Amino acid sequence: MIAQNFEYSAPANLKQALDLISDGNAKVLAGGMSLIPLMKLRFASPEQLVDIGRLAELNYIRQDNGSIRIGATTTHNQIETSPLLRSKCPLLAEAAAHIGDVQVRNMGTIGGSTAHADPAADYPASLQALEAKLKLLSSKGERTIPVADFFVDTFTTALEPGEIIAEVIVPVEDNGMGTSYEKVVHPASGFAIVGVAARLKKQGGKVVVARVGVTGLSNRSYRAANVEKALEGSGASQTDIRNAAALVAEAADANSDLSASPEYRAHLARVHTARALATALSRAS
Amino acid sequence: MKISGSYVVPIPAERAYELLQDPVVLAKCMPGTDHLAKIGEDEYEMKMKLIIASISGLFAGKVRLADQNRPQSFKLIVDGSGKIGFMKGEGLLNLAAQSDSSTEVKYDGEVQVGGTIAAVGQRLLDATSKLIIRKFFEKFSAMARDAAPSSVA
Repeated sequence: MIAQNFEYSAPANLKQALDLISDGNAKVLAGGMSLIPLMKLRFASPEQLVDIGRLAELNYIRQDNGSIRIGATTTHNQIETSPLLRSKCPLLAEAAAHIGDVQVRNMGTIGGSTAHADPAADYPASLQALEAKLKLLSSKGERTIPVADFFVDTFTTALEPGEIIAEVIVPVEDNGMGTSYEKVVHPASGFAIVGVAARLKKQGGKVVVARVGVTGLSNRSYRAANVEKALEGSGASQTDIRNAAALVAEAADANSDLSASPEYRAHLARVHTARALATALSRAS
Repeated sequence: MKISGSYVVPIPAERAYELLQDPVVLAKCMPGTDHLAKIGEDEYEMKMKLIIASISGLFAGKVRLADQNRPQSFKLIVDGSGKIGFMKGEGLLNLAAQSDSSTEVKYDGEVQVGGTIAAVGQRLLDATSKLIIRKFFEKFSAMARDAAPSSVA
């Protein structure tokens, strides 16, 4: 199908873009990998599109002391192949490599995917585990919020009308941190039936940092705090990992579809949490 | 698709039962409803515009209440369609008093969804329907709390 008529503008700079969306009526277009299919199916019929996809000032990956700042229109492919991310925040690069297919990764952007808040998108698991922050901009000002507060519900975020994601901020990993992203792929869509991101650091034979982020299981991505708590202070033996991973679906109301019942999804989450933790541990030094 | 769950609302069971059958209340609580009219005994016609972030769709349909067992349970029968798909289903609502001022509403039903939305959005139907139900009960609870108890009972 063909999308309904809409007004299109491609502002020359960020300020113009923010002015154009300030009344809250326009929809922001970046890579178009989520929005355009919705428009073609007429699930979405925005009257006005503001295209920020070509704004060079939002396309960057740079280190800033202990953080790495990623501009909103940076593509999945740029993230997947970034030498800076691969060496200093490999979890995000690993997650990016799992998204969709080559075409989607060349066009789709981290800001667009995050703002769309698909409950089965790949990034959110890693962003939760990384305790990433988002810089949000509007014509009225800026604010920075943790991703845990950003993902509110299915397709629902903390973005206010007239506001865009300008930057995703992830940490430079400490020496000795091991990370991993484990995903069960939905065969048709490439989305995660379940995706688990893990970060693990050991010191003196004990786990000192454990972070686990989950996507695909329920209405929104989340950090599995109970798994982290069970693991921290332990020796991260196989049994410790299995026992901790068993807690991952405890607080979640698991989704159901043709590919997986809620019980099976929760089971997949437990198995893949254990795998993600074991791989992260093997990469930790 | 099976839909089930429960929600605790901060009002007595009798009153919850009353409010859950009041078309004015339902129209206000159901996200996107802009028209709801009585067309027969326990039967209503409704129009709604559902908006969930980027996704929106217009639906028109009928809602019927049956098997009334006041104040414990009733059946809700829904039939609706729009450009992006159709839905048909029925569910049983069970009300159980938890205390003098709170009631657990349990719902359990089976819904068939077809058309474009089911063909391409299958993966998201469950999460989305849960979101709609959650929004409904949040609004319902807020409204029940605000309304003066004497105005309805």
